[in-house]
Amino acid sequence: MTEVLGDFIRALRAADVRVSTSESIDAGNVLDIVGFGDRQTLRDGLSQVLAKSEYEKEAFRDTFDRFFAFDQFKQKAPGDPQNSEDGESEDSDQNADQQGGEQQGSAGGQPQSGGGNREGQPSGGERAEGDAEGEGGAEFPDLVQMLESGDQAALQMALADAAREAQLNRIRLFTQRGMYVRRMMEIMGLNGLQDEIERREDNGEQDRADNLRGLRDQLRADVRDYVEKQLEIFTANAGRQLREEVLSQVRLGNIDARDMKIMRVLVAKMAKRLVALHSRRRKVDRRGHLDVRRTIRANVEFDGLMFHTIWKQKKIDRPKVMAICDVSGSVAQVARFLLMFLYSVQEVLPRVRSFAFSGQLGETTDMFEQTKKIEEAIAKALRDHGGGSTDYGQAFVDFERLALDDVDHRTTVLILGDARSNYSNPRGDILKKIHSRARRVIWLNPEGKSMWNSGDSEMKRLQPYCDTAVTCASLKDLERVVSELLRHAS
Amino acid sequence: MAKIAPGTKLNKSISSVNEGSAEAAITSIQQGFERSGYICNSSIATSIFLAERLQKPLLVEGPPGVGKTELAKATAELVGKPLIRLQCYEGLDESKALYEWKYGKQLLYTQVLKEKLGDLMTGAQGLKESIARLHDFDDTFFSEEFLEPRPLLKALWQPGGAVLLIDELDKSDDEFEAFLLEILSDYQISIPELGTIKARTPPIVFLTSNNTREIGDALKRRCLHLYIPFPDTALEQRIIRSRVPEVEESLRNQLVAFVQGLRQLDLKKQPAVSETIDWARTMVLLHAKELDAELVRRTLNVLLKFQDDIDNVDAEVNALTTKAIEAAR
Repeated sequence: MTEVLGDFIRALRAADVRVSTSESIDAGNVLDIVGFGDRQTLRDGLSQVLAKSEYEKEAFRDTFDRFFAFDQFKQKAPGDPQNSEDGESEDSDQNADQQGGEQQGSAGGQPQSGGGNREGQPSGGERAEGDAEGEGGAEFPDLVQMLESGDQAALQMALADAAREAQLNRIRLFTQRGMYVRRMMEIMGLNGLQDEIERREDNGEQDRADNLRGLRDQLRADVRDYVEKQLEIFTANAGRQLREEVLSQVRLGNIDARDMKIMRVLVAKMAKRLVALHSRRRKVDRRGHLDVRRTIRANVEFDGLMFHTIWKQKKIDRPKVMAICDVSGSVAQVARFLLMFLYSVQEVLPRVRSFAFSGQLGETTDMFEQTKKIEEAIAKALRDHGGGSTDYGQAFVDFERLALDDVDHRTTVLILGDARSNYSNPRGDILKKIHSRARRVIWLNPEGKSMWNSGDSEMKRLQPYCDTAVTCASLKDLERVVSELLRHAS
Repeated sequence: MAKIAPGTKLNKSISSVNEGSAEAAITSIQQGFERSGYICNSSIATSIFLAERLQKPLLVEGPPGVGKTELAKATAELVGKPLIRLQCYEGLDESKALYEWKYGKQLLYTQVLKEKLGDLMTGAQGLKESIARLHDFDDTFFSEEFLEPRPLLKALWQPGGAVLLIDELDKSDDEFEAFLLEILSDYQISIPELGTIKARTPPIVFLTSNNTREIGDALKRRCLHLYIPFPDTALEQRIIRSRVPEVEESLRNQLVAFVQGLRQLDLKKQPAVSETIDWARTMVLLHAKELDAELVRRTLNVLLKFQDDIDNVDAEVNALTTKAIEAAR
């Protein structure tokens, strides 16, 4: 039973539903209470502990229907005389089964006869857990009988057990289909079936042998179908997830042009998340009330006279960020992202001034604010300020002229660049001045730490005047730094 | 299995079926709701059943007017426990939600203490002894007597348990959400001056949200999550029948079909169940027997709350009415 649930949760995760460990435990508890008896109740119950937003509910319902679809052997029912009567009684039960009438949807096709399977499922699972190893193929001795009598419930159970034994839930690639189909067929007793066909042929019962052969082919098709469905369940979103995961960790300089689109989405996502996380806090801080509780407690010593008043209002430490971004050739690739980042930061933080430089430094704050489209803004910044050979010294001189007066003890100065100054004086003295006035100086270097100080990199001369100097090469790094920045800022 | 203390006093309508299967319990909850006029589908009844069995809070989300708050009220009625309601709003803090010290009393206490101090200290030799004697008194200044319970604390203290409704959680601040975590997961609260206060009987907790902002993961993890969508035609008809029994069947079917059709349109605010009920009552007041375009036009403002929506729908009233009458047949 827990194994079934575990697989189901894995399938849910593949469908982008986030399930935490504590929620899995809750799901186990729900299962204990409601059992596998009624499909509707099970689905409602599990959806309440596992899917916790409107979007997740939808994904949950879809996954649930596909995962607990025991209709593998059902479609062929009309061709089989034994099944048709089974099928008739199904319809009436089915209607009675579904009250509330809102969830018919794709689950509607679930016949009552499947109920037997559902109840059978957990017990079958436990048995397989216990002694699957020992029994192996002997567990399904009567495959021939099952096929010939058209016992769908038994077949479905055998299929589920075979899938478990063959560890179908580990399937990841479509090329594995054939292997799993064969393995499952063997577990279900393919060899015995073959022997039986041969025996009948030897005995001259050609008709019955052909009949069985037909059933065998049908079974193989069913198993293949089942395997494909499982593959889809477990790997539905894997491709996209993998791509986003990889892209957020890959070095910004190495990202292909064709991935830029995804990257922009990722950056936007990140900015949005950060806005959601931090915008509200500022709002709250802007209120002020007399804190009666603390006032009275503070004044107990004065005989209860309101001598000291204490206010709930927190002093708002308005974050002020000045970002200086290197957009020269040596960091051209990365610069795009640094600018993208700057642009997003400007949306999140109320008071950001941004500067870009290669040779000379210029302010880009107004331009970013006026240009609505991020691509245009970045292109413009690169065009206006990029292209020259890097000169950190000149950039700091310009910064001193433009903005040093505005740097105060609440300002965080953010420098994005590789500190490669073409062997010109990087003017550490100016950075020292900035450092002494600013609250914090953070240096984000797209190069790995081992590359610092090699060649014309001036990190060792500049780093002493930074409060933090970190590598910032991927989107993950960026997000971490911004989040940190915002936390301290507010 | 869920931990259910044997001593937990459960209401009869739930406890009587505790021994039975889950489905039976769910059906009985559903019927219990129906008796008190709250018509719901089995998914809602399942969530109540689970919330009660697992002793977990239930976070109810859905568009406004589908009966989220009603659900809590109906549950309170079903289990026969008092409903304690906490309406959330921006700026709600612990002194309004949890507890407050009775400052006036505390001040009086200090005054009284000062007056009595002379009596108490008679015979005390020197400062040291006086202070030692003072220490002998209990520290009553911060004791439960001076505690003014607010909804959350009230719900924990309620003998026999209560139904706690934390309404429109999305309107409160993030901090408040974090502050709820303790009470939601352990049914206890910490008061710095007193220590931890545990629930006498764990209350059944409902949280509702209109999704104006995303509720944090930490909170969601601790709750069961129920999403109530707009009801389908059959369910809505049953709701109207229970709430406005005066409406005749043909008219009821027509107006439900009309509202269902209305929800298909692109509107600023879609009419919810509460609006359908209001509309049905309007029809009763107007002695209407049959839906017609003119009548709909005149009463559209009961259903739609934005002038833009009314203007947009106005052009399509004829078509929608015809369709509704067709569908109701």
